[in-house]
Amino acid sequence: MADRRPGEAAETGLELAGELRELLAELAGRPELRTADFGLPLFGTGIGLDSLTGTLLLREVHRRYGVDVAAEDLNLDALASLASLASFIETRRG
Amino acid sequence: MVWDVDHTLLDGVFLEADGEPPGADPAMVAVLAELSGRGILHAIASRNPPAAAEHVARVTGAAFVAAECGWDAKSDAIGRIADTLGIGTDAIAFVDDDPYERAEVSFARPEVMVLAPEEMTSAPGWPEFSPAVVTAEAARRSLLYLDRQRRQAAEREFGGSREEFLRWCQTEITIGPAAVADADRLAELSARTHQFNSAARALPAAGFAELIRAGETTGSRHAAGPAGPMRVGEVADPRPAVRLMGPTKAGEAAGPRPATGSAEAMAAGGVQSAAGDTARVLAVRLRDRFGDDGLVGTCVTEAGPDGWTVTLLAMSCRAMGRGVIDALLAWLIGAAARAGVRELAIPAILTPRNVPLRLALAAAGFRASEAESAGEPGAAGEPGQKRAVFRRSVDAGAAADSAGAIGAGGEAAGETPAPGEAAGSG
Repeated sequence: MADRRPGEAAETGLELAGELRELLAELAGRPELRTADFGLPLFGTGIGLDSLTGTLLLREVHRRYGVDVAAEDLNLDALASLASLASFIETRRG
Repeated sequence: MVWDVDHTLLDGVFLEADGEPPGADPAMVAVLAELSGRGILHAIASRNPPAAAEHVARVTGAAFVAAECGWDAKSDAIGRIADTLGIGTDAIAFVDDDPYERAEVSFARPEVMVLAPEEMTSAPGWPEFSPAVVTAEAARRSLLYLDRQRRQAAEREFGGSREEFLRWCQTEITIGPAAVADADRLAELSARTHQFNSAARALPAAGFAELIRAGETTGSRHAAGPAGPMRVGEVADPRPAVRLMGPTKAGEAAGPRPATGSAEAMAAGGVQSAAGDTARVLAVRLRDRFGDDGLVGTCVTEAGPDGWTVTLLAMSCRAMGRGVIDALLAWLIGAAARAGVRELAIPAILTPRNVPLRLALAAAGFRASEAESAGEPGAAGEPGQKRAVFRRSVDAGAAADSAGAIGAGGEAAGETPAPGEAAGSG
């Protein structure tokens, strides 16, 4: 494995958050989410993630990145925001 | 039931026919009709063009809630059918005359019951296909799934968000005390739902009936007329309308009978064990412009010294994505706040299948401190099964918060607590 350039982790994190945002917008059927802030809360008044969209999102995350968020995160804190979900995935997929 | 077409439902091969495709196998037509009447759904998995499914529906006269026509593995077709219907593949039986197809499905999906057509003539006599009670919801299940297909098709066409779609559908969620007549359906929900089910064990109809009767006796003094109907157009919040049935004070209606006596006395008197005395059973009903889903959910709450415990929460997967679980949780929080209760606790098993429940709990602000393994006496679940108690403190603000979260239903139904009442519960 080549050494990582400084800042590479942050870049991949951003890239991943961008992918997750695209995915969320698609699954929720809400194109306006494509420009949502990465730090916006996913639950509640922020993005208002419902359990159907959340389930589809976690299933797709498991399929694409091999990270089973529900199995590892009892309270689903990883779903606080797109940024936190990206960092949760990033630290686990190695 | 997922059915093959050629030499299974049809008396021949769809594509090999010269002129008219073959007719239906009369023995299978009888089985289709018998099982439909018991609430068992039928679907098609066929290596044929989609026209084959239309032909089969025509010649058998049966309603098929899903059809997968194509040339990939039947085990994949079964997976897509389960996804479409929102059910687990372990609830599926597969019928095919081709031993190769049966072997493929058995290997790829061992949880699926795999059958040959000749076995199907005796299948209606088997316990797997013989529910003890066929509820009104079960007998109409095929139609409800067809409503669901029309709703999903409309949602794909719809331009706006899911909340806007639900509002356009005139989604109406009714939450109120369950009646004894609901017991069979409540038992069915507790046994058959998985994605929004908090418990590992089903509660039988007799158990529900007992809880409901006890609640009716002790709770009769709280009886009041149902809240008035709400029109969605009046709702400022673009969420589905929630109609609250029963007593006008939600805290008294929804929750367990308000505790009498001191906390010490209740702890000593075994309030938890005397469930019949304090438990309340809620029934959640759902309808919209596409159809009436009837009773789709339930929860059982018990009053304890520290707050209310939801000992069972079960919701049909048909209610998924329609704002029902969120409305129920918001309503429980509001009811608890108005009753001056400090904490709501929802013990839940942790399975890969009830992740939707955990998402709803997280969205409603519930948290569990840590997962534990069940196994101690009285704990829900099988030994070794993981469970956790999801808790949420209830403060004065929760009453107001939940009124907003359930689509201003509280206000329309006269539910808004008086300022003094709200302040007093904090």
